Amino acid sequence: MSTLFDKIGAELRRGLVQVVALSLLRERMYGYQLVKVLATAGLETEEGTLYPLLRRLETRGLLVSEWDTGGSRPRKYYRLSDEGVAALPRLKEVWHNISSAVGRILNANPADLTEAQTS
Amino acid sequence: MSTATVARETVQRWLDEAGAAMGGDPGRRRDALLELETTIWERLDERTDGEPTDADVNFVLAALGEPTEVGSSCLPAAPLVPAHQTRTFVLHVAIVFTVHFLLVVGATLANAPFGPAPLRVAPIADSGNVLELIGRMFVTLVFDVGLVLVAYVSLRRVQRMVRFPHADIAVRPKRWRCYQTAAFFALVLVVFNSFRDRLFAMYVTTDNGIVGYPLTGAGLLANIALLNIWLVAAIAREVFYGTLGERRVTLILDVVARGAGLYVLLRIVATRELIDLGSVRELLGPQVEAIGGFLNATFGLIALIAAAMMAAALVRRVFRLALIRG
Repeated sequence: MSTLFDKIGAELRRGLVQVVALSLLRERMYGYQLVKVLATAGLETEEGTLYPLLRRLETRGLLVSEWDTGGSRPRKYYRLSDEGVAALPRLKEVWHNISSAVGRILNANPADLTEAQTS
Repeated sequence: MSTATVARETVQRWLDEAGAAMGGDPGRRRDALLELETTIWERLDERTDGEPTDADVNFVLAALGEPTEVGSSCLPAAPLVPAHQTRTFVLHVAIVFTVHFLLVVGATLANAPFGPAPLRVAPIADSGNVLELIGRMFVTLVFDVGLVLVAYVSLRRVQRMVRFPHADIAVRPKRWRCYQTAAFFALVLVVFNSFRDRLFAMYVTTDNGIVGYPLTGAGLLANIALLNIWLVAAIAREVFYGTLGERRVTLILDVVARGAGLYVLLRIVATRELIDLGSVRELLGPQVEAIGGFLNATFGLIALIAAAMMAAALVRRVFRLALIRG
């Protein structure tokens, strides 16, 4: 059963991490730094989830990346692209709409919602 | 063996497994692997004060997950033709095949090679033979599918490079691997120039001993000087990469080597005469021409794929050359 919860939880997180990552990447960060920031904020995310997501966002043009080889280890830094900066407010709006709708549904009595739909 | 060495080997094994499960081109794989490697060592640095122990490494790697799963989710294998492009791919193959087919028909009716220079096709030798016609059409179709596939893959790679020219990292290549590659090219150069006639030949045992029939085609003979330039430039490039790492001079040599290689491959694609089975016609019979045609068409297709990869690599180097600092 816990595996099922883990799976559903991971799927839920995967969707919302996109918006959260974009929001955090207004500041330049590298992958592991982002993992730690997310964990500190209470959103545990595995590298296996985060890195593909960062690559997808980069492929879609919402993020740009660059390697910094100046330190003791090379780090790949990500930040929002101009396209990402423009998209973020709209994505936030979408998220707020979804979040409030989900909140309403979770707190409501299903019968009330069915009634509201038929009236 | 020291603890640090064991840790490095364990991490490297994990990375090798993850890399084997990754899709994408070598550049993207290297990029993804380096990102994972950095993460592993940063986690280990956080966990230990000094050298990481076996237990530390195992803990960190277990926390990351199964290497094959991490690798395949980090960089999933992309199909050669994405699902949304399947219909256009089929349409493009149909167009190319129709044009190719019409050229073959034209050549057969005229009983002479037909079409503009790089697209010139030979007639079907016996126009009354249905089996030969079907065989020829099949080879044509396979060649055309390969041709359109190469165009799709190359275009996507070039598109990606144009969109993300910064995505590649300038990593100093492993010195011993550069020298190993240089030695390999040197060996090819020596063997190719010293034993060319013996390499491209068919040997038959007769009453008089073993007799060799040369099979070197005009397309290969016409490109020998260029092939040598390609190999010499490639050796110099590897030596420079190994000694200096990525520098302007190394990249210029790289561009020269790949440019020469691309030119040779395109000339081979245009002539498609790498081998000539004329010398064994009497020995093997007239069907040898069809075999020769098939082999040259196959080599032509391989050369085309290699040329597309070479062109993509060349564009990447030109970008690196334009972006490199110092």
